Amino acid sequence: MTSKPVLIVGGGPAGLAAAHALATIGQTSVLVEKEDRLGGAPILSGYAKLVPSGEWAKDAIGGMVERVESNGLVTVKTGTTVSEFSGEPGNFSAKLSDGKSVDAAATVLCTGFTHFDSVNKPEWGFGTFPDVVTTTQVEQMISSGAGVRCPSDGRKPKRVAILLCVGSRDRQIGREWCSKICCTVSANLAMEIREEIEDCHVYIYYMDIRTFGLYETSYYWRSQEEFKVKYIKARIAEVTSDGEKLIVKGEDTLVKRPITIPFDMVVHAIGMDPNVDNMLLSTIFDVELEPHGYIDKKAAYGTLGATSRPGVFVAGSATSPETIDDSIAQGNAAAMSAYAMLQGAGKVAAE
Amino acid sequence: MPIHEEHLIRPENLKTHEDLVIDGIDVSGHWSTFIESRVVTDYNEALEEEIAALPGGEFIHRCWQCGSCTNSCTVNAINPDFNPRYWIYLIRVGMESELLRDKDIIWQCVSCNKCTYACPRDVVPEGVMKATAHWLELKGHTPKSPSMLFDEEFSEQVIETGKIEEGRIIRGFFKRTGQPLMQDWLVEMAKRLVAKLPVTLLVKMGLASVLRPRTSGWSGARDAIQEYVDEKQAEQRKALRLDELVEIAKQEVKPGQQAAAE
Ligand SMILES: Cc1cc2nc3c(=O)[nH]c(=O)nc-3n(C[C@H](O)[C@H](O)[C@H](O)COP(=O)(O)OP(=O)(O)OC[C@H]3O[C@@H](n4cnc5c(N)ncnc54)[C@H](O)[C@@H]3O)c2cc1C
Ligand code: SF4
Ligand code: SF4
Ligand code: SF4
Repeated sequence: MTSKPVLIVGGGPAGLAAAHALATIGQTSVLVEKEDRLGGAPILSGYAKLVPSGEWAKDAIGGMVERVESNGLVTVKTGTTVSEFSGEPGNFSAKLSDGKSVDAAATVLCTGFTHFDSVNKPEWGFGTFPDVVTTTQVEQMISSGAGVRCPSDGRKPKRVAILLCVGSRDRQIGREWCSKICCTVSANLAMEIREEIEDCHVYIYYMDIRTFGLYETSYYWRSQEEFKVKYIKARIAEVTSDGEKLIVKGEDTLVKRPITIPFDMVVHAIGMDPNVDNMLLSTIFDVELEPHGYIDKKAAYGTLGATSRPGVFVAGSATSPETIDDSIAQGNAAAMSAYAMLQGAGKVAAE
Repeated sequence: MPIHEEHLIRPENLKTHEDLVIDGIDVSGHWSTFIESRVVTDYNEALEEEIAALPGGEFIHRCWQCGSCTNSCTVNAINPDFNPRYWIYLIRVGMESELLRDKDIIWQCVSCNKCTYACPRDVVPEGVMKATAHWLELKGHTPKSPSMLFDEEFSEQVIETGKIEEGRIIRGFFKRTGQPLMQDWLVEMAKRLVAKLPVTLLVKMGLASVLRPRTSGWSGARDAIQEYVDEKQAEQRKALRLDELVEIAKQEVKPGQQAAAE
C-alpha cells in the first residue's frame, strides 16, 4: 500500500469499478468527474433496463455510485477536470480545474465515450422530423416512466423502425468501428416497446446482426420468437415524411426489391464515438491515441490497461466501444495493474 | 412448394401443373407451381479480380451488400432491374452467367455518383459499374458503347497530335458509330456558327481542320503516353486472360474450318 492516492479520471462504470476495487484492498483514490454527478452514460443519459441483467440503470449503476460515495477511502470530486499532469510512476502531480493539486502514485483514465450525434447523418431525418429519435431518447422515455410516445403529438406509435449502425461502420463519416452494443440494445428496446404497446409493430433494419455470444439467445432470438420483432436486411436510403407519417425508403436486399414503408417513429441506434475530450486528454496525460481516436491500450498479455505512458492506465469505453460489464471488468483490472505497479515500485524503493 | 414471391423466379424456372396429385394429395391449381432446383456450376472464381483490374473496380472487395448504392441510384429509381449491389454480389461470388443476363443494362449508369456518396464502405460503386461495362466490352459480350468509341477517338487524337480539334473528333466519332455526317441538328449548328462567329476565328478553325496542327515537340510526350497506354492495356488483357481466350477460340474454330475445306 502507498500513502499517495491513485487518481481516477471519469466516474462511469469503469471509474466506479476501479475506485471500489482499490478501496477493497485498502488503497485510497481520488475520483475526478467532469459532470456534476457520478454514474457515467447509464446515469447521465438515463438508460432504462440494462443489457444483460435486465436491472434498471438507476438501481444497478446507482448502487455502484452509492458504494463509492460512502467509502472513506475514495475522495470524489465532481464538476472537476484535470488541467495539468506531470511526474513519474509513484510520484505524479495533477492540477485540477478548481485550482487544487493532487499528488498521485498512479492514474487510471476512465473517461468513456461520446454519443454519436445523429445530425451528422441528415438523410435519416434526425433534427428534421420530431418523431425521428435516438436509442438514448427511447431509453429515457422508458426510464422516466412516460412510456414510448411520438414526440410530435404524444401518441403511441403503431409502427416503429429501428435503424442499426447509425454513426458506426460508415467510412463516409470516418467512423469505421462497430459500436458493439447497439444491436443488442436495439433488440432489448424492441422487446420493451412490444411489451408496453402490444399492437405496435417493430422492425429492425440491419446489415449484420452482432448480438454476440450469449446475447444470440436472449436478445436476437427471444426478440423474434417471443416478441415477434421483425428483422429486415437493408441499409435505409432516406427518411422523409408525407406530412403525417415518416416514410422509410430502401432496398430489401434479400428479395431484391425497393421498399417504401410508412412509420410512426424511427429510432437511430447511435454508436459510441471516442470521447470528444480525447485529444485534450492525450496532450495533458501524454498518452497516445489509437487511429480511430480512442486512448491506445497495450496488448493484454503483460499488464492489463497499460497506456503508452508508464503509471497511467486506461479502462472501459475510453479505449474502444465497450459494454458496461466489460468496462467494469477493465476498471477492476486497471486498478489491479496500478496497485501491482505500486507494490513493485515500493519494493524497489525499500531495497 | 407454393410460391409467394413469384416475381423472384424467372418464368423458365417455373413449372405449373393443372392436375397434379403427389402421394395422394391434390396439388393442382395455385399449389402446382414449383421451382425447379438449379445447379450453378460455371462459377468464374477470377471474376472479382478481373473487374478489380479495370479502372474503377479496385475497391469491389470492400462491399458488404448493404444496398445503399441501389437504393440511392438514379437509374434504379426508373428501372428496378438496374441493381449495382446485386451485380457486385454476382461478381464477387463469380456468377458470371447470372451477370451476363443483365449485360444490356449495365452500361446505363449515368455516373451521377449518388452511390459513391452513400456507400459506407467506400467501394465507389460508380467506378465498379464503369469497370463492369468495360469488362463486358473487352470480353466481347457487348459491342463497344458510343461513349467508349468517343473516348477512343478523343484519346487517339490527343496522343497523336497533343491537341484536340472538335470538327475532326465529331467526324471521327460519327464514322466509328456509323452515323451520317449530315445530320439536321449539326447542319443547323454549323450554319449558326458561321453566321455568329468572327471571320478570323472561322478561318482559324477551317485551317486547323485541314492542316491538322500538332503541339510542337510533341513526339516525346506522344511516345511516353503511348507506352503507358500500351502497358496498361497489356495488364488488363492479361488480368482478363484475353489472349488465352483468343487462343481457345481459334482452337475451337479449327475443326469446323477443316470440315469445310474437305
Ligand atoms: C443507447 C445506449 C445504451 C446502452 N445500453 C447498454 C446496456 O444496456 N448494457 C451495456 O453493457 N452497455 C450499454 N451501453 C454502453 C455503455 O454506455 C458503456 O459500456 C458504458 O457507459 C461505459 O462505461 P465507461 O465508464 O467506460 O464510460 P462512460 O459511461 O462514458 O463514463 C465516463 C465518465 O467519464 C466522465 N468524463 C469524460 N471526460 C472527462 C474528463 N475529461 N474529465 C473528467 N471526467 C470525464 C464522463 O462525464 C463520464 O461520467 C449503451 C450505450 C448506448 C449508447
Ligand atoms: S453493434 Fe450492431 S448496430 Fe452497433 S455498430 Fe455493430 S453492427 Fe452496427
Ligand atoms: S453512378 Fe451509376 S450506379 Fe451510381 S447511383 Fe448514379 S446511376 Fe446509379
Ligand atoms: S453501398 Fe457500398 S457496401 Fe453497400 S452494397 Fe453498395 S457497394 Fe456494397
